[in-house]
Amino acid sequence: MAVLTDVAVDRPTAKETRTPRAFRATPFTYATLMIVSAVLSVPLVLVVSIALSSDQTVNANAFSIIPREFHWENFTRVFDTSLPMGRFLLNSVIISLFAVAGQMLSSGLIGYAFARLRAPGKNALFMVVIATMMIPTQITMIPQFILFKELGWINTFLPLIIPNFFSNGFNVFLVRQFVSRLPKEIDEAAMIDGLGFFGVYRRIMLPMLMPALIAIGIFTLTYTWGDFMGPLIYLNDESKMPLALGIQYISSTSAAMQAPPWNLVMVGSILLTLPMIIVYYLGQRYLYEMDISGGSAGVK
Amino acid sequence: MTNLAEAAPARAGAAPGSAPTRLAGLRSRRRKEALWFYLFASPWIVGFLVFLFGPMVASIYLSLTDWDSFTTPNFVGLDNYRQLLTEDPVFWTALKNTIYYSAISVPLGLLIGLWLANLLNKQVRARKLFRTLIYLPTLVPLVAAAMVFKMVLMPSGPLNDLLGLAGIPGPTWLLDPTWVKPSLILLSIWGVGSATVLLLAAMKGIPKELYEAAEVDGASPMRQFWSITVPQLTPIIFFNLVMGIIGAFQVFSQVYVLTRGATQAPEEASVMMVPFLFDQAFAFYHMGYASAISWLLFLVILGFTLIAFRTARKWVFYETEVK
Repeated sequence: MAVLTDVAVDRPTAKETRTPRAFRATPFTYATLMIVSAVLSVPLVLVVSIALSSDQTVNANAFSIIPREFHWENFTRVFDTSLPMGRFLLNSVIISLFAVAGQMLSSGLIGYAFARLRAPGKNALFMVVIATMMIPTQITMIPQFILFKELGWINTFLPLIIPNFFSNGFNVFLVRQFVSRLPKEIDEAAMIDGLGFFGVYRRIMLPMLMPALIAIGIFTLTYTWGDFMGPLIYLNDESKMPLALGIQYISSTSAAMQAPPWNLVMVGSILLTLPMIIVYYLGQRYLYEMDISGGSAGVK
Repeated sequence: MTNLAEAAPARAGAAPGSAPTRLAGLRSRRRKEALWFYLFASPWIVGFLVFLFGPMVASIYLSLTDWDSFTTPNFVGLDNYRQLLTEDPVFWTALKNTIYYSAISVPLGLLIGLWLANLLNKQVRARKLFRTLIYLPTLVPLVAAAMVFKMVLMPSGPLNDLLGLAGIPGPTWLLDPTWVKPSLILLSIWGVGSATVLLLAAMKGIPKELYEAAEVDGASPMRQFWSITVPQLTPIIFFNLVMGIIGAFQVFSQVYVLTRGATQAPEEASVMMVPFLFDQAFAFYHMGYASAISWLLFLVILGFTLIAFRTARKWVFYETEVK
């Protein structure tokens, strides 16, 4: 024992060994983190600043990064000027809610079937599920457009909503993996107690599946709410546009020789962003629980 | 629902019969289970056939036709592909621009993410605050982010003001053919928080003993970073690299919002694959031509993904790997 402590004298003291130097924060660490967070926050502060600027300030490009004027009425103005911002918002809510409901309703049942029910051809079908994840949307985009055009669905919400009721490869995979981790004894016991397959799903599986389904709901909401290309392809009427397309529409089609109302566009951007922050804040524990190492390195 | 609940006890009752009945009961139970499987899975099967498989087959056919979506398609064989690869300069420009964008934005984003994650992994005070500030931009929907960057990148906008403070005359960004692509890369780097958070979570999983041992052996923090942290993270870096490449090649909304309008850089400077495809399909109604572009885009993405997998063997480290 004594020999050991003697040896340790030459080394860093016990306390220092406990936190290797790689984990010790230096003033340089703090300086870097502060500069980086400040720089990354500039665009966010700028949105708020422009959103709170008067029309004159915006037209003269005289806004500052840090807000200097506070025209809070911009946030109510967007709902009563000729801009259909309220309509955009309502359209976004309608499309997103139906899309989320569709994915949550379908993915759970399909994923449960793939995880638990036995059927000939199931494994081959599951390979197809996985393979579909690799098909880029651009390939199916044009024939899908033709299909929806033939169905007379152009300029309606249907092309943006209906496909969600058929789930997709990623969500089926997600639920299937989630169910596979649950003990089989639970649904076997429920079967012996007289529940059928749908009964097992509805009474036993569905409550346990909630974290996975909420994660799917969050993914679907994030995607649908921010989707730009889908609405751009399918919706022509201003009154049908969701917010993401609407703010782009306002910013690009103002009257000739007149700058777009940037302050109101930025209010729109805030309306588009806030729900995402709230949803992330409320839902992050479900996302962590799912332990999905998705994400795409900054490229959204 | 109710008849399902009744069916189960009946099945249980069938079990203790004689051997042939038991076998028949088992078989019918199996068949029932299979039926239920196909019933439950039917939405996905229908969706796959109607929204994926059918359109895929249609897309292959369309790519071999000349079609404006109103008249009957005119079969032209591989002519669309020939025209794209040998006659259409915009295709090659779009491909070059897209590769430029992906080849810089994806690795740069990962590198910065790795660097920030390493800083956040230290024992810093207010880590949560820093992490939140770095992650917040990733929650901004792309269109909103692009709107903001339109303002940030204005010739007299905040970015050039900042550069002016440092005595650097800033370029006109979106209006300048050489700077419009870096502008788009800048926007993608703004979302570096998602890679940061992901890599940070992975770093927390690296056993501390490795660092303690390296410390005892006298390795510097820099050495520990390159010899422990980075090798341990290669699987997740690789995953993000592949996903990043796939995502970056499909860039659309940012390009559409930032590079179109009354004042803009010439199209050749910023045209990318999906915006090019989109215009061909929905602005010019060249449905056949656009379908051919989509398949070429798919092949390019597939090619780069395969290259990533090929090279991965050399630099991705798996703990459980037996050589």
